[in-house]
Amino acid sequence: MRKRMIGLFLSMTMVASLLVGCGSKTEAPTEAKTETATEATTETEDTQEPVTLTIYAQYADDDTKIPYDYAVEKLKEAYPNVTLELIVQAQDDGMTLNTMAASDNLPDIFQANTDIINSFRETNQIMDVTEVAKSTGFEEKVFDSCKELLYADDGKIYVFPYAGQEYVMWYYNKALFEQYNLEVPTTYEELLNCVKVFNENDILPMSLFGQEGWAAAAMYDTIATRYTQGGIKALDEGSASVKDETYVNATKTMSELVNAGMFSADVTNTNYDQASALFLEGKAAMFLNGQWYIPDATEKLGDDVDWMYYPAQDAASYEAGKAVFSGGGSTSGYAVNPNGEHAQLAAEVAAFISEKYCESKILNGKVFVSQDTGLKAEGELAPMMQKLSDTIPSITSMTKFTWGLTNATFKAGIEDQTRFLLSPQYTPDEFVNEMDAVIGRMNE
Amino acid sequence: MKKFRSNKLAIFLFTFPALLLFIVFVFIPILQVFAYSFTKWNGISAPEFTGLKNYIRLFTDKVFYTSNKNMFIFAILVTVYQMVFATIFAIAVSDAKIKGRKFFRVAYFIPVVLSVTVVCQLWLSILNAESGLLNTMLRSLGIDFQQNWLSDRYKSIYAIAFVNAWQWMGYQFALIVAGIKTISTDYYEAAQIDGANAAIAHRKITIPLLAETYKSSLIIAITGGIKAFTEMYIMTKGGPGTSTYTLAYMMYSSAFRSKEYGYGLAAASMLVLECLAAIIVINAVFKSNDLDAVKKKKRRLFA
Repeated sequence: MRKRMIGLFLSMTMVASLLVGCGSKTEAPTEAKTETATEATTETEDTQEPVTLTIYAQYADDDTKIPYDYAVEKLKEAYPNVTLELIVQAQDDGMTLNTMAASDNLPDIFQANTDIINSFRETNQIMDVTEVAKSTGFEEKVFDSCKELLYADDGKIYVFPYAGQEYVMWYYNKALFEQYNLEVPTTYEELLNCVKVFNENDILPMSLFGQEGWAAAAMYDTIATRYTQGGIKALDEGSASVKDETYVNATKTMSELVNAGMFSADVTNTNYDQASALFLEGKAAMFLNGQWYIPDATEKLGDDVDWMYYPAQDAASYEAGKAVFSGGGSTSGYAVNPNGEHAQLAAEVAAFISEKYCESKILNGKVFVSQDTGLKAEGELAPMMQKLSDTIPSITSMTKFTWGLTNATFKAGIEDQTRFLLSPQYTPDEFVNEMDAVIGRMNE
Repeated sequence: MKKFRSNKLAIFLFTFPALLLFIVFVFIPILQVFAYSFTKWNGISAPEFTGLKNYIRLFTDKVFYTSNKNMFIFAILVTVYQMVFATIFAIAVSDAKIKGRKFFRVAYFIPVVLSVTVVCQLWLSILNAESGLLNTMLRSLGIDFQQNWLSDRYKSIYAIAFVNAWQWMGYQFALIVAGIKTISTDYYEAAQIDGANAAIAHRKITIPLLAETYKSSLIIAITGGIKAFTEMYIMTKGGPGTSTYTLAYMMYSSAFRSKEYGYGLAAASMLVLECLAAIIVINAVFKSNDLDAVKKKKRRLFA
């Protein structure tokens, strides 16, 4: 009898725990809860009681620390009763944030991208901040060219974006090109010649941090956009097939460049620091990165650095391609937890912080922000930045960085497969077939 | 003692806390892994039951086969390297005649106490195709064997497995040294009197008497190999492409990168089953060896 009792007790414990564990975390925040939050906020605002808001934000390097610190300083003036408690964002593909969401432990304010917005709105864990964006004037200040970054596909606003459109750049060392009497390549034929000459002189033709999936995908995208302006964005949206001739040709071109020795043998294990050091020390002739790298490159290489339009298959495609850039913006920025105790106040603070991020970036010479702050960069723009600013009005089409892609399956697939394509042992056919399978799964 | 063993309540009271922890933190999560593997789930919203769909996809996914192949290579290489070298080094440092054996005992164990990240960074520097110590050494010695150790889609898994085997060999070494210390020196003295040299003595005495230690070591090495993840994550990110994926890495990539938790957990289920199968096989092998030994003993007694 005792044995049975013990067995029964253990079984019940197990079943109870299993049920608790299996319990869905999809409980929608009730209106009552939201109302309470609003009431609490109003009360807090009226009495100016100190409020601490948790914020999950990037705080890793100058690019992320400077604007955050600037925003916090400004917040003290505008919202003296609000204190931000920073939780430094982990570079883990959103794993920590997803875990926080799954355990109903989200911070008051967090940085969200398209993927997070899509997941969290299903479970009502991201606040619809459309009204706040209107009432705080945030929506009005967003540049027309960046308006698409503000709205999700359901027409609502879930994040306060601060980054504007961003661009994938092919940087090159002018001094090295001059030293070896090479013209900036406009076609793949010319590029292959440059690759050959640089390899013969122990210069790495293109430094790429292929350890990061987005960089490999961006390299592929800069080639794909020479054949078809949709690039990886069209594949993500399902409006093109990787088996289309244009993508097959792009794949073959990338494979040809890899086989010609355009990248280092260890490119798939090269991290950003290593790749950047090779370029800045004059050991690599070209380097792929976003436009945010302009200040660093200018500081280290001065007049010896510039960016080039991506080479294309022929002169005509090259000229046409000048209006098509890889990169682009995404619906990402500061979002708010609707279940937070001070959700309404958090939304206002999130809008404020995003605005101050834009200000800080502008003041630091980074002009690619989402909204008009009325400020201008101190001093003259770096020549490369000026050249890009002058080019932007003629850009007619942009694609996406992988973090702006809408489908997580496609994102993981294109990152893995383009990294694989950086290996001379991987064939274009394998790439096309595998990507085709990934795209097939996306739609299941 | 007999009275204590017959007291079921005492047994229950002493084992219950540990059992409860095991059930809540190990057994139930494993059951949940199996339960969720039959669903389509993004990790946050409500899972949707999809039957065997994830498993059907798993068995038609090339990455699954690559992951399994890598897992076997990893497990076999790690096990063989660790067992062989740990045994040799343990026997060597257990010999009182060996000078500096205390130093070696510590030296072999040092990699174990290092962080995996540190070890991986160390080996990343050594194995770098362009500027790595290994290729540079081979070049300077005039040996034409420079390789893309971590970028070769067919060979990089061996390099990664070696790093893991190198780091954790010290752990097996410690287990075997401890095992050797429990063996009475009388056996060796008797063997010496019978004319056995050191090699024969170790083959006939040390290794058979370490059967239980080897069983534990084998389980640790093989299951460690099967669930390999960290080295791939730090050193190659599963690459180039998916060529150094293991089941654990596949699970991570599907769940946390592709947000296909259901599919990732189907891979995890296979991982659990494969670990269990490995343990069952190892136990069966050792059990049959034990039975053989008993039979031999009986035959000798009745001969």
